[in-house]
Amino acid sequence: MSARLPLEGVRICDFACVWAGQTATMYLADLGADCIKVENPYVWNPATRAAAPVLPAPVAQMLPAWMAGHPNNDPGPRPWNSSPAFIHVIRNKRSFTVDSRRPEGLAVVKSLIAISDVLAENLAIGTLEKLGLDDDAIRAARPDIIILHLPAFGRTGAYVEGRGYGAHIDGVAGSTILRGYRDSAPETNVQTFAGDFFVGMHGGLAALAALRHRRRTGRGQTIELAQAECSASMFPQAALDAAWNGRASGSIGNRSTEGFAPNGVFAARGEEQWLALSCRSDAEWAALVDYIGRPAWATAPELATAGGRRAAEDAIESELAAWIAARDRDELFRDLQAAGVTAGPVLSAKDVTEDSHAAQSPAFQSLPATGDYPATEFPAPSFTFSRSDVTIRTAPALLGEHNDYVYRELLGVGDEEYAKLEADGHITTTYADEVMGR
Amino acid sequence: MANPAPAALDGVTVLDLTAHIAGPYATKLLADLGARVIKVERPGGDPVRAFGPWLGDEPGPERGGSHQFLNTNKESIVLDLKSDGGREALERLLPRADIAVTSYPPAVAERLDLTPDAIREVADVNVLSLTNFGWEGPYRDYALSETVLYAMGGEMFSHGAIDREPLKMGGTASLIQCGAMAAIGALGAVYTTEVHGGAQRVDVSLFDVQLNSVDRRSSAIMAYRFSGRINDRPEVAGPSTGAGVVGVFPCADGYVEMTASAGPYWRRFAEMIGHPEFTDPKWNDPQWMNSDEARAEIDVALYPWLSERTRAEVWEAAREAHAILAPLFTASDLYEDPVFRERGLWTEVEHETLGRFPMLGRPYALSETPWAIRRAAPRLGEHTDAILAEAGYGADAIAGLRRTGAVA
Repeated sequence: MSARLPLEGVRICDFACVWAGQTATMYLADLGADCIKVENPYVWNPATRAAAPVLPAPVAQMLPAWMAGHPNNDPGPRPWNSSPAFIHVIRNKRSFTVDSRRPEGLAVVKSLIAISDVLAENLAIGTLEKLGLDDDAIRAARPDIIILHLPAFGRTGAYVEGRGYGAHIDGVAGSTILRGYRDSAPETNVQTFAGDFFVGMHGGLAALAALRHRRRTGRGQTIELAQAECSASMFPQAALDAAWNGRASGSIGNRSTEGFAPNGVFAARGEEQWLALSCRSDAEWAALVDYIGRPAWATAPELATAGGRRAAEDAIESELAAWIAARDRDELFRDLQAAGVTAGPVLSAKDVTEDSHAAQSPAFQSLPATGDYPATEFPAPSFTFSRSDVTIRTAPALLGEHNDYVYRELLGVGDEEYAKLEADGHITTTYADEVMGR
Repeated sequence: MANPAPAALDGVTVLDLTAHIAGPYATKLLADLGARVIKVERPGGDPVRAFGPWLGDEPGPERGGSHQFLNTNKESIVLDLKSDGGREALERLLPRADIAVTSYPPAVAERLDLTPDAIREVADVNVLSLTNFGWEGPYRDYALSETVLYAMGGEMFSHGAIDREPLKMGGTASLIQCGAMAAIGALGAVYTTEVHGGAQRVDVSLFDVQLNSVDRRSSAIMAYRFSGRINDRPEVAGPSTGAGVVGVFPCADGYVEMTASAGPYWRRFAEMIGHPEFTDPKWNDPQWMNSDEARAEIDVALYPWLSERTRAEVWEAAREAHAILAPLFTASDLYEDPVFRERGLWTEVEHETLGRFPMLGRPYALSETPWAIRRAAPRLGEHTDAILAEAGYGADAIAGLRRTGAVA
């Protein structure tokens, strides 16, 4: 009990994939739930454990760093255990393998459901149903279970069959059209995935609320979180401007929707040194002008108010750009913050690993090496509890790492049956030949 | 219904000392799930009341879209926490709450004597603090805006084109994302109390939330630690038809976002545009896919197909083929879309003085404890008297506090 975790004793049967689903269950695992990842060694779930099950180093090098920057640039024979995109969202979870398409595999899954409190999934619509695990079947195995569905565009309505990852969901949620350079069409927008973790947070929260209700009433329920709908909550100002005033906002580049001016990102001295800056009030503007040395371009009386500065934003930005270009990014950051101006460097991933503030914060936690990745810092839960042990208590689960625990301890499978399930390819720590293209 | 089911967070009381966007979004999520959220506002109100968009384009402290969205289902009490009377009222409210949520910068919290530990000396309640950079470290007292937060914490570095400045996200997304994370921490603390007893403090730093989540950021940092590779902004801004079809493409009435790379996605893409020849095995060969000839073959088939179709038609074809594609919606598209309307994405609120108006609705649907807006965002100080009365203040005492400006 020393861990004092809220979800001690809560078990999750976890069919979640990609980021949205896997982060939803990660937050519950962080809070102490025994999260059991159900993994089928005969089916490659895209964008869930790695870019591909077989990933030669030269191919990985052609893929974006965030997706395929594996340890020492070598994905090795088990890329699914070391993808920078996904390994860290499997923290505090356990993994077991089973081919749920075969009857004996489905029976195993149902016996896990029978002892689970939450079932979470964001597989392509219809996948669970095809396995024979529609909501009724799940409830038959565990009547008071909480089912968390995270479909892309909903489980009802004309968009049910829509397929998409974060970038496509962002498109429908209105995220993509709101970002980009002011002088470029939306087609120059690169893919980002603003909604994935956001959806995960909401999925985790909704499940937590449903668990509370179940603890008090004994009743489970079904949660449907349509990712595109949830992601729209990131942009309430644009949504309400459309609903109330019939206005469809577009991109305003790096300018502020809150009326702050100036508000932008400027090149500082050197290569790829960028400084973001916001004057959130007239006082911040006055402090900035003082720091610059009260040049003539900045002291016109009409610039003393945000409205006046918005009217002259182009001119202010070009003067600021010239001034910042000659200066050191980090010196400006510290000096401007000390002077009361909201400014900060655009930190690359490398910058973050060298940042003195990040280094002392609880943001990262060291984990020891495994056979698949070296000892390094992993992202830790972003809420630090003073009494509950909400940390990385167990390292990210490697594929099939907890087969023994799940089959023997949880499900009470005996030696003989275990050996048979192993011989039949259910119990493994690698993917089947057909997945590996052998 | 005679006996409606209790809301999921029925019986939870949140004393909400936050302002602006991130904190109020955290407590809104709890309020919309049924918690009682008492929003303590400074005299003059939460500064977010000064932000648009405005209902009917007419500014006013109750008419702002940020306020109306972020403060649904809450009650408002105005306390001047710098006054003795306001402070005492807060101290009477604290023991009645399950959790207090704050977003004071550390230096302000120290000045007001409202650090998490100071609050926990008044009453043994949970306290969740949202700060820019945490309570320690060189940046502790630094300021953040939505843009600077995404620049430092988020993956701004790789968003945009390599020859131009990095780009922020739309709106105030990075702040709202942090609010969602804080909501889990807050409910986690309340839940811990219910299971184990006792209370504790939970700290959430906006910077840390962005570093460890949101749009490729945690992955980009992981990738650098693993491989030394940095996530760069792409050299070519715009959609690519080399090595697969990826990006934002124009169609007859707007844009669609598409991903068609190797494997089944490619087959479905070929099916969607009605060009079965693209399923020829040569399209599985990365070298061919990367060639100018391949790109030319794709372009001549794809662009005309897109230009003859609206977003709705393209998306329908994609859904039929299960191709990975979706349209770029504006907020107006989202508001007017009949499918999302029918599903219940939008709702309406009834406001005592402003009447009925549309509101962005639920982020999720719970079958037994439905998400619901029970009341519009509160008018400034709407519940001051009622909340003080509950805490044991008589009418004369309240009037006295009002006269001194300690409450409003």
